[in-house]
Amino acid sequence: MAILVIAEHDNRALKGATLNTLGAAAQLGGELHLLVAGFSCAAVVAQAAAIPGVSKVLVADAAVYAHQLAENLSRLVAGLGKGYSHLLAPAGSAGKNLLPRVAALLDVAQFSDIVGVVSPNTFKRPIYAGNAIATVQSLDPIVVATVRASAFDPLPAEGGSAAVETLDAAHDAGTSRFVGEELAKSDRPELGSARIVVSGGRGLGSGENFALLEKLADKLGAAVGASRAAVDAGFVANDMQVGQTGKIVAPELYIAVGISGAIQHLAGMKDSKVIVAINKDPEAPIFQVADYGLVADLFEAVPELERAL
Amino acid sequence: MSDYVHPYRDTEFVLNELVELEGFCSGAGLNEVNGELVSAILAEAGRLGSEVLAPLNAIGDTRGARLSERGVEETPGFAAAYRQFQESGWPSLTAAEAWGGQNLPNVVGTAVNEIWHSANLAFALCPMLTQGALEAIAHHASAELQAAYLPKLVSGEWTGTMNLTEPDAGSDLAAIKTRAVPNGDHYLISGQKIFITWGDHQMTDNVIHLVLARLPDAPAGVKGISLFIVPKFLLDAQGNPGARNDAQCVSLEHKLGIHASPTCVMSFGEKEGAVGYLVGEPHKGLACMFTMMNHARQSVGLQGLSISERAYQQARQYARERLQGTRKDGSRFPIIEFPDVRRMLLQMKASIEAMRALALVAAAEVDRVTHAPDPAAAARHQGRVDLLTPIVKGWLTELAQEVTSLGVQIHGGMGFIEETGAARHYRDARILTIYEGTTGIQALDLVGRKTLLNRGELLAGLFDEIGETVARLESAAPFAVQARALGEALAAGREARRLLLEGAEGDAALAGSVSVNFLMLCGYLCGGWLMAGSALRAQALLEAGGDRAFLEAKLVSARFYSEQLLPRTQSLLAAIRAGSGSIMALSDEQF
Amino acid sequence: MKVLVTVKRVIDYNVKVRVKPDQSDVDLANVKMAMNPFCEIAVEAAVRLKEAGLASEIVAVSVGPAACQEQLRTALALGADRGIQIDSGEAPDPLGVAKLLAAVVAAEKPDLVILGKQSIDGDNNQTGQMLAALLDWPQATFASALALEAGRLRVTREIDGGLQSLELNLPAIVTTDLRLNEPRYASLPNIMKAKKKPLEVKSPVELGVTLKAHTRLLKVEAPAERQGGIKVGSVSELVEKLKSEAKVI
Repeated sequence: MAILVIAEHDNRALKGATLNTLGAAAQLGGELHLLVAGFSCAAVVAQAAAIPGVSKVLVADAAVYAHQLAENLSRLVAGLGKGYSHLLAPAGSAGKNLLPRVAALLDVAQFSDIVGVVSPNTFKRPIYAGNAIATVQSLDPIVVATVRASAFDPLPAEGGSAAVETLDAAHDAGTSRFVGEELAKSDRPELGSARIVVSGGRGLGSGENFALLEKLADKLGAAVGASRAAVDAGFVANDMQVGQTGKIVAPELYIAVGISGAIQHLAGMKDSKVIVAINKDPEAPIFQVADYGLVADLFEAVPELERAL
Repeated sequence: MSDYVHPYRDTEFVLNELVELEGFCSGAGLNEVNGELVSAILAEAGRLGSEVLAPLNAIGDTRGARLSERGVEETPGFAAAYRQFQESGWPSLTAAEAWGGQNLPNVVGTAVNEIWHSANLAFALCPMLTQGALEAIAHHASAELQAAYLPKLVSGEWTGTMNLTEPDAGSDLAAIKTRAVPNGDHYLISGQKIFITWGDHQMTDNVIHLVLARLPDAPAGVKGISLFIVPKFLLDAQGNPGARNDAQCVSLEHKLGIHASPTCVMSFGEKEGAVGYLVGEPHKGLACMFTMMNHARQSVGLQGLSISERAYQQARQYARERLQGTRKDGSRFPIIEFPDVRRMLLQMKASIEAMRALALVAAAEVDRVTHAPDPAAAARHQGRVDLLTPIVKGWLTELAQEVTSLGVQIHGGMGFIEETGAARHYRDARILTIYEGTTGIQALDLVGRKTLLNRGELLAGLFDEIGETVARLESAAPFAVQARALGEALAAGREARRLLLEGAEGDAALAGSVSVNFLMLCGYLCGGWLMAGSALRAQALLEAGGDRAFLEAKLVSARFYSEQLLPRTQSLLAAIRAGSGSIMALSDEQF
Repeated sequence: MKVLVTVKRVIDYNVKVRVKPDQSDVDLANVKMAMNPFCEIAVEAAVRLKEAGLASEIVAVSVGPAACQEQLRTALALGADRGIQIDSGEAPDPLGVAKLLAAVVAAEKPDLVILGKQSIDGDNNQTGQMLAALLDWPQATFASALALEAGRLRVTREIDGGLQSLELNLPAIVTTDLRLNEPRYASLPNIMKAKKKPLEVKSPVELGVTLKAHTRLLKVEAPAERQGGIKVGSVSELVEKLKSEAKVI
């Protein structure tokens, strides 16, 4: 039986996580269908149809799906779901809002945030905030799961030409109404919750030089942090301090620039998924915890890095 | 910064297995108090301590209390934390229901207070002093004064202080000079007091000072001291804070530690005289103070436990994380794998567990007095309270010096750097052997009023009870070594008691010369006694299928204590045996 | 308005979990347990509705063994009026929990059910959505603000990249995100009073729910340890590694 992936999009463009979710779906074996449910979402449909490996794009283009309200969309997906072996969606806020509701309508379990496919009905997923990895098996006829995008390679975005099938069912539960939304502008994310953090230490030499890091951070969509030494030297404000006496962060990517790696600092960032250290002192302790260390003059390496991204 | 987490499991072990709290409460008619309730109380107090009070420790150290035109400005964040603490009802825990209290046993209050002192020693002094003031009023003040002041002190809406010390009257309160002159329905107080903890702040809308002063007709010495309530703001007709009284903080001390706790020089009656109200009988002020002395001294002993626990948690985390060893394959390992670091950690852990056991068992004795079935039982338990109080105060706070110092030592060079916080605990701990009666004063109390005065009877009763534990150890197979260690320590205690009783009459300097060593010997012995009792209970629970990780660790702590701490009783005995000879041999000039 | 709020007993968030040596699960023996932090936020939200005069009664529900009465007592100390423990023995999967809750909802007829968005043990983030499906009620997941306006619920939701506002008809389901509120601490007098509040125990059978296993837990492992790092020779090599190997940019 075929696999149905629910596309994540904003009616204008397909979100990249959809491609990773298709990557996970491809590991299951079976024809891949992609559902684009939205309103005035033709551009998304075109993108969806171009993905190699997707054999069919299902399109539900109706005002009731404009904001992908779970009440309406879950009925559509549950209705389609009976014809599929798997229903997958990226584990973003949209997928997490929708798929459990779909699963309950189908009277099946839902698997959240899968990070590995063991077999078509067995998956790995993090529990206890990632402090343990569970291997779980579905006992249901249909597998419904959200997929952690960073754990799977994406399918290519272009090169395919899937058939497009338009659905005309428009479900309206009539119990909820979209009022509005406020999407963050390009402002830097908060240090505590950012996916990427760029931090500077005493090696920056001055507060002005933090502009180098800010440019890099903006390119990466990252927050900017600092070591205790940089804060004590008066380069930047207290609230930017990462470390035992400052903020404890655990982003996916932590870039430590000109930071030697005092224990105090390491305590605040050692749980980051990937740590990069840029320091001109090859003996700096930060290299002991860094996944990728670059021994270089930060005033050359940081602008070069920014340009290379 | 290491986080503080209340070691609820050890506290509950002591309460359940050594204090046998549930049985005591049902016997005392406190049917509402059970293990489940106490767990819920400790859990919630632990949350408030960890999440609200503990994070203010560092800023309290670096931005201590300051004096401004408004008076004392506490550390930023303290006022909000106090409000949360107060609105959650914690000040009312042990107070009588009539005044809005929860009427919970003293031992439960003590277990909860451990949390506040661990989380933030400087902060917790404020409610601790309030409780002292509250008890003085509850025991000795007129009904009218009680109605005016107790509800707000119980609720924590106002805080209290204890004004004893003067520049020339420290340990020797006979030298008090502050004067109180009758003036209609009140007195006018004038004089200066020093070392007044939390003597002023902006966290509450009144501060109630209890002040020792002399009436004009007072006899000289301690028999001429009276106790007065002196509010920061006088109460208006509705009982609310009104006009400012003539009592203020004129200076703050610069201290080694507990920087967030304002230590005030208080000046009373600089202008027209501070309005004060007599508590109890004239000239009986010291007796009023004595009723709360046991409580205050046990509270400071508890602080010794609390700061030790905090230092231990900090050192333990550091030892687990600090990579300083390299294996043959080049990989690195944390310092907790080094035997000497383990020795230091275990010494901290075993000391703390013994301290906690003694603090809570002593606190429960107070409840056994309050809820005694007959006067004889009350007198017996009061005797035990009297005996244990100087030991709890002296031994726990002295041990805290060693434990917090080990905490610094485990950090190595980083321990000497303020940033880790290890040094802060060490500095904060240093006051504990000094205030509320120095170790020397406690030791004199122990050898004098608590031993010589009753011909060693109180000690003999305690020693007999320890002897029963030795016998129980002897009959339990796995504890033969510990039975011998405790037996030898007990013999040392009995010998020290004999030396004191027999030698004191012929040598006026003997008691004072051996007193601190005597107190420390009694402390290590009591700790050994309760650790042995803990081991017996842990073994029984293990056999019944209890929590292995905790109970096995408890057995190891108890064994370590008997191997490494109990033998100290022998060297203390040797020092006691040496008597006063060398101590009194030098002339003052030869020092 | 009657509000039902759910509380789950989970490992205390301060405790570091350890996987059992036989990899059958994490080791919860003798581990400190507490109320799931997102449930605390749910309870706080309900209590604030009551304090604002908008809710008349708060019923706290927990699914699990008798031990979870401890967390129900906490909810009662925080301001819930009564508690219901659904004695399910071993914790069912989220769909089973949702079915049990749906049966309680049918009996209690609340106007609003507030749940934590997820529990910090299973990290499933499902129960609220599933309950909404079973009841055919509207849902507002990941709520960061909540207001009642003219009998309708206005909810701000935390979504990827920002905030979304929805208006829901009542009855409705709300699941809480971290920023909805800062839960209070239970006061000592309320901890004492909570002992006297009613707490009833119901079995799945009494609720007419037959639980069925939909999943099987095969193995639980510790996550892979951090590998020893490497030195890269240039910025371009670094970028290449971050893109293709670490996949973080």
